[in-house]
Amino acid sequence: MEANPTDPVGRSGTPSPAGGQVATPENGVFARALLISVFVIATCGLIYELLAGTIASYLLGDSVTQFSTIIGVYLFAMGVGSWLSRFVLRELVTMFVRIEILVGLVGGLTSPVLFLAFAEVSAFRVILYGWVTLTGILVGLEIPLLMRILEHELPFADLVSRVLSLDYLGALAASLLFPLWLVPRLGLMRSSFLFGVLNLLVAVATCHLFADRLAARRRVTAQAWGALVLLLLGLMSSERLMSFAEQRLYDQPVIYADSSPYQRLVITRKLDEVRLFLDGNLQFSSRDEYRYHEALVHPAMTYFEQPRTNVLVLGGGDGFAVREILRYPSVERVVLVDLDPLMVKVFRDHDELSGLNGFALRDPRVEVVHQDAFIWLDRLDEQFDLVIVDFPDPRNFSLGKLYSTTFYQRLTAALRPGAVVAVQSTSPLHTREAFWCVNKTLKTVGFHTLPYHATVPSFGKWGFILAAAQPLDVAVFQAEAAGRLPQGLKYLAPGLLPGLFLFPPDMGPVDVDENRLNNQAVVEYHERGWKATPPT
Amino acid sequence: MTWMSLAPWVMGAGACGRSRSELPDHSVSLEGIEGEIVGPSMEAGHLLRSGGAGLPASPPEVQELDTLIVGGGIAGLTAGWRLNGEGHGDFKLLELENEVGGKSRSGRSSISPYPWGAHYLPVPSRESAIVRKILEEMGLVIGRDADGEPIYDPRHLCHAPQERLFVGNRWQPGVSLRSVAEPEDAAELAAFESRLRELRDFRDEQGRRAFALPMELSSRDPGLLALDRISMAEYLDAEGWTSPRIRWYLDYCCRDDYGCSLDETSAWAGWHYFCARPEDSEVLTWPEGNGRLVDFLRRALGNRIETSTLVYRVRSAGDGGERVSVDTLNLKTQVTTRFRCRRLIYALPRFTAPYVIEGFDRSLSRSFTYAPWLVANLTVDGRRRPSQNQGYFSSQTAWDNVLYDSRSLGYVVATHQNLSAYPGATVLTYYLPFVDLDPVSARTRLQQASWSELAASVLGDLAQAHPDLVKRVDRIDLMRWGHAMIRPVPGFIWGSDRRHDGLEEKFPGILFAHSDMSGLSLFEEASYRGAVAADRVLSC
Repeated sequence: MEANPTDPVGRSGTPSPAGGQVATPENGVFARALLISVFVIATCGLIYELLAGTIASYLLGDSVTQFSTIIGVYLFAMGVGSWLSRFVLRELVTMFVRIEILVGLVGGLTSPVLFLAFAEVSAFRVILYGWVTLTGILVGLEIPLLMRILEHELPFADLVSRVLSLDYLGALAASLLFPLWLVPRLGLMRSSFLFGVLNLLVAVATCHLFADRLAARRRVTAQAWGALVLLLLGLMSSERLMSFAEQRLYDQPVIYADSSPYQRLVITRKLDEVRLFLDGNLQFSSRDEYRYHEALVHPAMTYFEQPRTNVLVLGGGDGFAVREILRYPSVERVVLVDLDPLMVKVFRDHDELSGLNGFALRDPRVEVVHQDAFIWLDRLDEQFDLVIVDFPDPRNFSLGKLYSTTFYQRLTAALRPGAVVAVQSTSPLHTREAFWCVNKTLKTVGFHTLPYHATVPSFGKWGFILAAAQPLDVAVFQAEAAGRLPQGLKYLAPGLLPGLFLFPPDMGPVDVDENRLNNQAVVEYHERGWKATPPT
Repeated sequence: MTWMSLAPWVMGAGACGRSRSELPDHSVSLEGIEGEIVGPSMEAGHLLRSGGAGLPASPPEVQELDTLIVGGGIAGLTAGWRLNGEGHGDFKLLELENEVGGKSRSGRSSISPYPWGAHYLPVPSRESAIVRKILEEMGLVIGRDADGEPIYDPRHLCHAPQERLFVGNRWQPGVSLRSVAEPEDAAELAAFESRLRELRDFRDEQGRRAFALPMELSSRDPGLLALDRISMAEYLDAEGWTSPRIRWYLDYCCRDDYGCSLDETSAWAGWHYFCARPEDSEVLTWPEGNGRLVDFLRRALGNRIETSTLVYRVRSAGDGGERVSVDTLNLKTQVTTRFRCRRLIYALPRFTAPYVIEGFDRSLSRSFTYAPWLVANLTVDGRRRPSQNQGYFSSQTAWDNVLYDSRSLGYVVATHQNLSAYPGATVLTYYLPFVDLDPVSARTRLQQASWSELAASVLGDLAQAHPDLVKRVDRIDLMRWGHAMIRPVPGFIWGSDRRHDGLEEKFPGILFAHSDMSGLSLFEEASYRGAVAADRVLSC
């Protein structure tokens, strides 16, 4: 359908007499094509707004605020765009195509730009609102320009009615498509590119249908095609871009990422250093995890002369604590309780990652239970002579329950006479109150305790507590216990052990409440501590 | 803000203009949300209004027994538990509904058990001896402190965080006078707290406290009883306490405990709320709310409970040494039975008496008025990853979640006491007492509203704090309580009607037991009334 318009708007910008060519078939095609583009443009415009709102909610939380401010800024920017349209005096069609190209590029890149900006840039909000403003201005320019292009093709009343109704119809289409199909099926990254592509198709189509109305036709057409190809490439590599964006959130290459119903698990590696992040929180670095796990396991394993046979590990699905436990030939059985099967799957079945724990989880002595630790413990009728409690820090009220008097009370029922417990107790330096709160809580339910600490560069100073039904004496570590340490440890040297139990004044005991289910004191202490010294 | 502002939702039509722009549109889409309206059986109850028309005047089947309890709410159940505990075996308990529990009943969804009414019990004071004994028998006491006071198992004490308030478009921790007060309220707050201490520390010549639980043990000091003649709002006016925030909080407390606004709650009842329990007393709660207590009492009674049984006529013993006769209809088998007993414990709310007890003049129950309530249980999906959760079922959600800009009481979270480290799907129990309309009109409206109208109003109200809740709710089940709570309006508690002087002489053989006899719809009062009635049975 070769258009042969007689109206030289594109070339000269000279308006033709009102109503002059309304009836000709060529103009019918022209007008219809542009009206279809109104619908596409309106849909795209709203999609960009929804994308920005969703990504901001996803990354920053508080969806009410994010959506409100983004809608407000976007609409305002559209107003600015509409106002700016008055300064476009000539070459309306050319300008329209150029703006279409820009809208396609800017809008289409909304998702990748915002995801990458969040990972890389501290001033994320500036970029967010800047991007939304830019998109809004460009989108705001579109409809006024179109109406001016069409002003001689259709009677004014007809024009306004058709353009605006299609505009609103496009908005409806976008607002239904977005939640029902785009986000669930395509995801944010692909949706973003897809609508950029649609915008550019409008640009390309305009170039070809109305070639003779364009100034600098070749250049503009080439630009439109170029941008289209760029976005198509983006669309095809959306998946990779998404994982790249995630990678930017971590400062090392992501080698594994998966989600379970409980958490997001991301593993990164750079050179020989492997790191595990759960919901963005560092769990270990292979460079120094042995310091943490040797400190967690061996003081408890060696305190008594009586060898340990039945060991319970609560949390710690990465298998590192189990690796340390299995160094002792006396161990007959290890029960590992970790809620998340994904953790165990990765650290038992993944060939490379399970090598990190020396394939400990494949050892026939190890039995893995996937249950909520507290609930499992409540139903337990077995007893152990050593328990390693290696839960995530009490950073929320749900996790705080695992540090409560009720939990430790229940734990005592799982102990054989002469049993020892070792509890990871967060950092006595960063969250001194939380650390001593765990100690106080253990003592409240009748445990005798020996608090100690180790240096784990990835974490900083880290704290642990040894607990047992009978009084514990640190002197044991000056003599016999050191001799019971297994060969091949990289951190715990016999002479080092007693020093771990000495607390310098800046980590020394403080007066705190015990953590009960009905006060969750440890959560508050923990939050207060990390607020004062944010994790590095 | 008036009840009328809620009316368009409840009515479902845009009949009245909404006065509050912050309330969301009531045309909430309920697509994909299931649910139903469950009991109580209004039809069966209303059968009585027609005077038991069509039911036999003298049922052929007759059963003789020593004691009959009618009404399986907390008062009736406690009476039965007491009789049972004292070795008095010759009794039965009849309940209209298909399960006992009254306003402490509970339900269960695929996610969690949940309450249909009362959902917590404050740790009982020394005076609530009956409640303490029940809790001890339930095995909830794990020791005694230095003063010999019971220590309750922390699993059953409400876990932290207990409460939060949605105000100014954000959640803030705690719901208390201090948490709502602004700096400019400091003087009023101090004055209120000082009066509170005074009243709490008060002891009369007999050593009675100003406000005790059970309320019968309260002081009869005339100056204190005079508080019952004015409303709490009038009391505040007289003191010149005008802070809207302090008034909001006191109004919230009255709606919460009594189903009455500040204007309709007697000042005696208002102060009772604050003074009867120890300062900072903790609460016991369970996923199914006080359904846990019901379950214990029900099991103690075993097979002595007969449910789905309508009591349609009671004739008191009269002079000739006859027995009390109780005519009943089994709603399932349609069999009518006459029970003849030495003692009847009438553990039904007083408003039923004129329809059931022969010769019970309506004037004797006229001053007993009851607040209607809507209770909604929302089953909320936990499909999203907990780490992404920002809102109501994140690990930071409190047990009790109150909305400042709402006439509802907000919601409680059924899974709050769960010991799991990962919050997931849950059930939210939403409470709306109808306090701003007279109870009769409110009851009619509540009864006429459809499931979708009520469900939309619940979601619309909660949307102010949780705009995305509508997408995450799978079920909304509703309970319409026509007579949820006795209303302690001015003059009721220390007026003559409630004190029922001479009532038992007028109806020989009948012992009355219900929390409405205390004017306070509280577990402690219901169990006290039940136990007192049981003790009367045992003593004569």
